[in-house]
Amino acid sequence: MTSVAEPSTPRKRSKWDQERDPELGSPPQPPVKRRQLSIHHADLSPPNASHWKRPAPSVFVPPRTHHPPLTSSRSVYSYEKLNSIEEGSYGVVFRARDKQTGDIVALKKLKLDEEKYGFPITALREINALIVCGHENVVGIREIVVGETLTQVFIVMDFIEHDLKSLLTLMPSPFLQSEIKTLMLQLLSACFPFNLLMNNRGTIKVADFGLARRYGDPIGVGGMTQLVVTLWYRAPEILLGAKTYSTAVDMWSVGCIFAELLLKEPLFQAKTEIELISMIFKLLGPPTNESWPEYSSLPLSKTITPPSPQPHQFRQKFPISAEEALQHPYFSSFPSAAAGERRRKPFNSPTAPARVAGDKLLTDVE
Amino acid sequence: MSVRPRFYPLASISQVQSTPSAQDGVPHEIEEDLRAYGCKLIHQAGILLKPQVAVATAQILLQRFFYVSSLKQFGVAEIGMGALYLSSKLEECPVRMRDLINVYDLLLQRAAHTVASGSSPHQSSEFKYTPMSYFGNTFYDLKEALVVSEMQILKRLGFDVQVVLPYGTLVNYMRLLGLTNHNEAVSMAWGYLNDALQTPVYALYAVPTVVSAAILLTTRRLGISLPSNPENCWWKLFDVDWEDLWSASGRINRLYRERTTAERVEIIGLLSKKDLRQWLDGRVK
Repeated sequence: MTSVAEPSTPRKRSKWDQERDPELGSPPQPPVKRRQLSIHHADLSPPNASHWKRPAPSVFVPPRTHHPPLTSSRSVYSYEKLNSIEEGSYGVVFRARDKQTGDIVALKKLKLDEEKYGFPITALREINALIVCGHENVVGIREIVVGETLTQVFIVMDFIEHDLKSLLTLMPSPFLQSEIKTLMLQLLSACFPFNLLMNNRGTIKVADFGLARRYGDPIGVGGMTQLVVTLWYRAPEILLGAKTYSTAVDMWSVGCIFAELLLKEPLFQAKTEIELISMIFKLLGPPTNESWPEYSSLPLSKTITPPSPQPHQFRQKFPISAEEALQHPYFSSFPSAAAGERRRKPFNSPTAPARVAGDKLLTDVE
Repeated sequence: MSVRPRFYPLASISQVQSTPSAQDGVPHEIEEDLRAYGCKLIHQAGILLKPQVAVATAQILLQRFFYVSSLKQFGVAEIGMGALYLSSKLEECPVRMRDLINVYDLLLQRAAHTVASGSSPHQSSEFKYTPMSYFGNTFYDLKEALVVSEMQILKRLGFDVQVVLPYGTLVNYMRLLGLTNHNEAVSMAWGYLNDALQTPVYALYAVPTVVSAAILLTTRRLGISLPSNPENCWWKLFDVDWEDLWSASGRINRLYRERTTAERVEIIGLLSKKDLRQWLDGRVK
């Protein structure tokens, strides 16, 4: 160490002292000057006089007060239950009103009746993903409220007027090309945050994607209810027992939804997994070494016999990424919403209150 | 595409000034040491079970928890157990309930043994672990406590259990300060961060403040000088407020204060809410 040699020289102002503008990239001199130690103690008072303007603090390091305080869950009785919206394998969804603010929200009750291992890890993932993910294409989570016993847990979310599924059934004619384009763009951009979360985790169950996908944008792209969790949107590699998979399965689902928007009905309406696989191969052609090199290494690929090769092989390179998809000429070509495509027949979208009352949907179900 | 960052929660000023335990009459030092001991148990259990990331997260959750709940209502041992179980799920390395319960049973038996041998641990018999009987109630009692405390942690923290760990930040800051080649400083700062998990600082200050506190303590201890005059203070680089930095360092340093054997044994005797309540009643009389 050079600490012995230094003290004889007159005190050289360090690089930091000279620079008006602290350059973050340049590392300071190795700090070995012992004599500064005594100054330390005199220095304990907060330094206030600064000659130059410091840059504003980073948005990632806000003052302490910008962090939310520790808050316990409120009781579910802070909300007034209005009507139930739907019931799925994951629990029941209610429409409710916040008694304090009067806001209309969606209350999703988690099913926690027979949990052998405490709070389910899937529900934890879902809640964490929603809390962390403040994306405009993802439904906002307001809070988690609890009932009287420890098994009653409700997720409070922004209420969204439509879900795509019922909208598709109610609409007299399919979406216009331009409308589909905007919906698809939002869907694709909504994919990123989820995929990041998913990638970190390694192996994830399909239900997670379903849940992640379920919450759509404000006009309800992702609000496809529990149907997303069903078989129809599941990618072939999962069907064939892949232990690890990537963002590609998400893109598969997005593609299925894309087709559904165009067709006005789900693309692969299969009842069983084997039926789904055969429908996929029928539409896209059987897997070949060029179109899908990993196919033969999948656990279940030996158990099925794909149909013999067909003249049309739709699938080229598989899969396309969300970024690539967003660059696709489809989104920059005519017809676009900006070009002012018009509907031939005006269609009154089911107004929010009508859907809100839930009669249409509920009578459908009942 | 707009992403609004959402920050992890920290205790508010009022939560710090009057903790729920303090409102229940638990003296400040006792609360501080009990929290630390609860974290120590998590650490020991973590070493036996090996979910390393989960340990840090669990300790932070325990510290947060006792800013919204009183030690009179929840024992540190059971909350620690619940926190470790919960964070093993959060960090995607779930531990088996049975393993966790066995480990805590061992740790609690050892704690009880320490208390029983009292203030003269040198003459006492050696600790011998008796495994719980297969058909006994111990397992089911502990399992019930585990599930309840996991749920209570979630509920009382409003299910916001995001935790940001400081280690990556430390590496960046040390690099920026040109200290990465100073092996002793690096490992000491890392050690301070780990020890700080037994103090409430992670529930009180943002990660940059805690990391800066570890650097401050390290550089003072090793006599390394960093720019600290009014115009140029190194912590300003990290947008850290001096007041926060100084008090976070103080809180970490308090962990190392001398305690007598009697004081240590007293703390270990208060791990359950029942024991703490008895002790509080005894003080009133």
